[in-house]
Order: sequence, then C-alpha cells, then structure tokens
Amino acid sequence: MNHFPEAWGRPRDDIYGSYNPQFLPNSHAQQSGHPTTHTQSPIVTGTSVIAVKYKDGVVIAADNLASYGSLARFTDVHRLKPFNKKAVVGFGGDVSDMQYLDRLLNSLDVKENYSHGHDDAESDKALMSAKNLHTYLSKVMYKRRSDFNPLWNALLVCGLSEDGTPFLASVDLLGTTFSAPTLATGFGAHLAQPILRRVVPDEAASKALDKEAAVAAVKECMKVLFYRDARSMNEYSIAVVDKSGVDLKQKEKLEGQSWAFAEQIKGYGTQTV
Amino acid sequence: MASISSFAMPSEAPTYSFAAAQSASGQPRQHGFYPYTDNGGSTLGISGDSFTILAGDTRSTSGYNINTRYAPKLFKLGGSGPNHEGSKIVLSVVGFAADGNALQERLDTIVKMYKYQHGKDISVHACAQRLSHILYNKRFFPYYVHAILGGIDEEGKGALYSYDPVGSYEREQCRAAGAAASLIMPFLDNQVNLKNQYDPNSGPGLEKVQRVPKPLDRTTVEEIVRDAFTSAVERHIEVGDGLQMMIITKDGIEEVYTPLKQD
Amino acid sequence: MTSIGTGYDLSNSVFSPDGRNFQVEYAVKAVENGGTAIGIRCKDGVVLALEKLVGSKLLKKDANKRIATVDRNMGVVHSGLLPDGRHFVSRARDEAASWRSTYKAPIPVSSLANRMGAYVQAYTLYSSVRPFGITAIIGGWDAETEVDVDGAVGSGPKSGSGGKTEGAKQGGPYLYMIEPSGLYWGYYGAATGKGRQAAKAELEKLKLNPKDGDCISLEEGVKEAARIIYVAHEDSKDKDFELEMTWISAVNGPTKGRHEEVPKELREEAERLAKIALEGEDEEEEGKMEE
Repeated sequence: MNHFPEAWGRPRDDIYGSYNPQFLPNSHAQQSGHPTTHTQSPIVTGTSVIAVKYKDGVVIAADNLASYGSLARFTDVHRLKPFNKKAVVGFGGDVSDMQYLDRLLNSLDVKENYSHGHDDAESDKALMSAKNLHTYLSKVMYKRRSDFNPLWNALLVCGLSEDGTPFLASVDLLGTTFSAPTLATGFGAHLAQPILRRVVPDEAASKALDKEAAVAAVKECMKVLFYRDARSMNEYSIAVVDKSGVDLKQKEKLEGQSWAFAEQIKGYGTQTV
Repeated sequence: MASISSFAMPSEAPTYSFAAAQSASGQPRQHGFYPYTDNGGSTLGISGDSFTILAGDTRSTSGYNINTRYAPKLFKLGGSGPNHEGSKIVLSVVGFAADGNALQERLDTIVKMYKYQHGKDISVHACAQRLSHILYNKRFFPYYVHAILGGIDEEGKGALYSYDPVGSYEREQCRAAGAAASLIMPFLDNQVNLKNQYDPNSGPGLEKVQRVPKPLDRTTVEEIVRDAFTSAVERHIEVGDGLQMMIITKDGIEEVYTPLKQD
Repeated sequence: MTSIGTGYDLSNSVFSPDGRNFQVEYAVKAVENGGTAIGIRCKDGVVLALEKLVGSKLLKKDANKRIATVDRNMGVVHSGLLPDGRHFVSRARDEAASWRSTYKAPIPVSSLANRMGAYVQAYTLYSSVRPFGITAIIGGWDAETEVDVDGAVGSGPKSGSGGKTEGAKQGGPYLYMIEPSGLYWGYYGAATGKGRQAAKAELEKLKLNPKDGDCISLEEGVKEAARIIYVAHEDSKDKDFELEMTWISAVNGPTKGRHEEVPKELREEAERLAKIALEGEDEEEEGKMEE
C-alpha cells in the first residue's frame, strides 16, 4: 500500500505492463485508441436572450445574429422559437444544438396534438404550459450534461403556466434552473439584468408592470447590448406571450441609437489626444 | 492529479495504469466540459428536543452574478400533492443546484413510494440512510451538494443528519453547510454546543469546566438561525436576499420566510 | 362461400388455384361490418367523417374519438377492426416522425399512403401474420408554399443557386384509401364500411373533380359529409350512432393547415341540415307513393 489512493487496487505496470486500451469496448477506445469525444465548446453561437414578466404576460427578445467566433456569420437567425400558444423558448449559445432542440420540441408538439382538440378555450387548457415545457427542457439538458455530452445552450422559457399566470425561467447546459421576474443569459446577465432589475426589482413590481413598459424596458436593453456586446447586432426578434397567444416579430430594428458616447471613449489603441 | 503526478518517484518505484499517474508532469491538459458549477448560498440545521429547524438563504449565484433572489434550497419530502401536505421530513441541499434538484426529486419519489408500499410514513432514520445510499451510489460522479436532512425521530425528538457529497453521514445537533459554512459553523459550535464557554466559577487555568450543552428551546434556536444568517450576509457575497426556515415538529412543518439584505 | 373446405383459406399468403388470396378477402368482410367512413377532397381542404356506431349506452357521448391525427396536417379514419386501426395509426405516426427525422420536413400525404400501403401489403405475405381488418382513409394537406427545413435558421439565398423559384406552387388537398390487400388509390371522394354503397352513390353526385370547374368548398364538403353519413346510416337505422368529423384546410383556411375536429357549432349545423335533407327525401318518397 502506498499513499496514492487512485492507484490502489490497480495492476502494477512493472509486473503486468501498462494497460492496453485496445481491449476496451469501442465507446471507450476507438481505432485510434482515443476515447470518444463529445462537444467541448460551441461553434456557431448566439448571444444574449433577455426577458421580463409583466402583469399579464412575458416579453422576450434576442437578436438575429449567429457568430462564428468573432465573425458575424449569419444575420437572419431567429433565436426565439414559439412552442405553442402558451410558450416561447429563447436560445443562447450553440446554434446547431438550438436546431436539435427545435426539432425535438417540434416532434414533442406533434405528439402533444394527436388528441385533436381545436382552437377554443377548452382545448387550450390541455395545451402544454410554459412551466411544463421548462421542466421537460431542464431534464433534457441535465441528462445530456450527466452523459458528458452537453447541449451548449442557455435557454429562457417563457409564457403562461397552467393557471394562466406569467412564467419565466431559465435552463443552461449544466441543467441549472432558476426563475425570476427578469432574466438574461450570456452577456445580458451582466449588462441587461441590472437595467431590468431597476424597472422590475421583485415579483410585486412585475405584477404592477404593463405591457408597454415591459416592451420599452426590453427594447432599451437590446440597445445597450448592441452598444456594448461585440457579438450582437441591431436587428432582433421580440415576442410577447399573454392570454391572447404569442405575438412574435422577427425583423425589429433598434430605434433611437445614439453613438455620441463613443467619442468620449479614450485610452484604447493609438489615440493621441 | 497534476500535483500527484509531478511528485518525483524513485525510478524503481512501480507505475500504474492510471492516466493521471502516467502523464508526464508539466504537460498542459486540454480543458473541456466541466459538468459542475457552484451556485453559492448557505444552509443550516439545528435540532431541539421536540423540533428541528432547517434554514437556507434563497439567493442563487453564478460567479459574481445573482441568478435569482428566490431559489429555495429547502424541500419538503413526501406528503401528498404538489405542496407535500402532511410531510414531516425536510431536505436541504447546497452546492450545485441542478444536482440538488435531481437529488431532491429522487429522494422525494422514494419517500412517496415507501408510503405506497408499506402503508406508513418512512422514518427519518430510514430516510437518512437511504439518502446516504443514493449519494454513495453516485460516488464516481457525485451529486455535488452538501445535504442536511431534518425531521422528528421515532421517539419524538428532533433529528438532524448531515452528509458529504459521497454519502458519509452522521446525526448531529447542528450543522452549517455551503458557502458560509466556515462562517456559521464556529458560531454554532459556540452557541449551540457551548464550545469555549466555561463556567466562570470553576476555577483558574486547566481546572476550568466547560459548560454542558443542553437542547435549546425553539425561540432561542430561531434567534440563533437569524443571527447566523444576518451575519453571514454581511461577510459573504454569495449569501443574501431571503431566509427560508422550516420548523419541523410532531404536528408538521411550519415555513417562515424573512427578507435578507439584497446587496 | 366457395372457399370453405378447399383448404386454400387456411393460411395467409396462400393463393387458390384461381388466383385469389382468401385471407385478404375475409379481411375485406371484416371491413364491411364496420361503421361507414368517408373522406371528401374539396377545393380548399379535406373532410373526414365517420358513422361511429355506439355499442353501449354506458359509453360517454363524444368521447373515444376514432379519427386520428398523424403529424400535424393529416388525418386517418378507418372502418373495420378497431385495434387493427389503432396499430395502423401508430405505424403511420412513426412513419411520419421518421420521415421528419430523415428529411427535416413533413411527409407528403402521397408518401405516407405509399409507405402505409407497403406496410399493409406486407401483412398479406407471411403465414405468421394476418392481414389488416381495416380499410383506412388518409386525408391531408401538403403545404403549397415552400416549407422551411425543420429547425432551419435564417432564410437562405434570395435567388440563384439554392434560391427560391418565384411562383412555384405544389401541395394542396390529398385523399387516399388503403384496403386490406395493401391496394391504395388517390380519390376525390372515398367511402368504406357498411354503408359504402349508398355513400359512394352520393359522393359521385358531388362536384369534386377540379378539372370540371367549380369543385365544392370545404364548408360545403363538411355539410355533404354529414348528410352522406346520415344517408349511409339509413340501412341500419335501429342502431345508435355518433357523427365524428374532422377537416384539414390550407394555412390560410379555417384550420391553418392542421388536421382538427370540425367545430361543434358547424358540425351541429351540418347535422341539422342532414336531418332536414333526409326528411325531405322521405316526404318525396311518400309523395310518390300517394301518386
């Protein structure tokens, strides 16, 4: 016995020779002898998603850019996906994993609708709520992280819960979940969240907030994010989910930008003044 | 691992077929996906003669960010319906929140299944051992949480069990866990177990006699819990926003929420 | 039945000397006992209707739906052995889902009919199985505009290679009927089950061929479908039945390209009109008798 516990119970190399990984099953050692590899980092990525709960619904927004590293690669990528009349999912992070999840949700929705109700209040009750959807997605994400094969995303799930109250919660690649009156993923957690929290400090403030104020706050944050997040763009999608359903706009342009502050920025590069 | 492998062993010493032990020292290793994170926060439990109190702050963090100001770390186990009515066992988990939720969900299912199969509520004693098994079973990919389980034992006394992430557990009078454990635990040692408190009349030097700890009454314990958390909030950035307390007695669970500083 | 005692009907996939497969023919008999099912392909959609025979007063009204949804844009109604129908639907859903996972787009109705035809036919080939005791009617709407690939991001090139052809149109309403032999055809109007003869006679009177001009609209189709089911029920008047109806329209139509139940109000209106039409016929007949 020695003081390397990780070696206890293992065959000694000086007696048995080093372990030959060729005999491992394929999942552990392929032809090359290397172990199976999974996603180690995202490739094409979307930046922040932000959302606010207001008195009778939720506002969510994300820009239409998909970046390839620092290259602004795709400029018409819609990162808000409506699931049904009650729920919208906003995707940050890897775009191919977003596409996978979108297809997964699509097939889930097809299965959910086999029992063909129609467009009325009674059938709407049976629809999967945003809360249900969030639970589902959190289990998908947690399972994948536990398999060491994560879906490299940060998601915001928003809409209405079963009782019709506004719902907003987040899931990330580790399966971590949390809920708050305002949420922002990625860069937005640093830049937008403080602004949103000033407007909506708690649940009570969220219950007093009207739709116009919520939309205004979200639009203001999208602007700040465009100013300061180098992986963002000025065209974005914004969705409002309330009792009347999902109102999704995918070609919004930032309004009222002011770049006057840029002149004040000094201290970088070759500036001489 | 790197530190172990960089230790220069004598040349005739045996080597092992273990990746970390074999790899050359000083080699950079690629950093890939790391499946854990720390969501901060702190929990604490104290058991009394006829009650157990569990408490936790409600802040959830990622680094310097606050995810939310309300993410409970205390969970009722068993009972009926989504609100766990009639439940008499509470689990608190602090550490990696996703693991905490998964663990809570598993143990809750087990507690419920126990009632369906045996027609009676599970004892805290049995529940405590089961929790240890769950954690130990996943010791090679642990639930990254410090769990504290509280309830009332079969004699009607307060019961409190604390765990490490791989299932080692013990029944205790009190325990603090999580980010501010190192701040709260010494305070609890002093106030609950009366460590470093001596009878002033017992004489000088080594003749000093330590005061003997006795089970505390409920109001005292609640005060200690509040003091512990208000102090922890002052000194630890990951603790704050709200204090959730669950008081378990033979009649059930009382839940109390009080705000904490949001800074 | 001339086949009895000849021995050629004892095993599936065995031909008789005159080239018949008796097991398949018996399966057709099973269908002939089922409640009437029809499908109508209209100008702007498809209607499926079913005479659901109610076997017991203990069954809840309007519950136990029999017309099933496959993917989002297709419906299946069947007549014959119910459990066989359930399995058929289950397989159709799997086919639709697997098509989606391969091609990242919904399965066209024709392709589903083709795959299900092949599937049903396979059940006539082996002695270890028996043929499906159902005839199924598949109705659906293929999107006429170019649909996005599932999970697609962005809108792709505006023109040129990989771009979109301006004004290209495909898709529309489709209706297929698959028999126990695996035989399937596309139809303007399809009927199966006990009252199929009467139903077919009524269907033939409708204007359904778009090439002849003024093909009936979806809403007219719903009313005709209700009437036809009532007409087909005339022969088994002693039995209780419920009318079950579903429809599929284009994306800009009432169901937004989805297969859905016909709304209660419209169905009840169609039933009211159907009953009036039937009474009218009766009166006419009575009138003739008096003359």
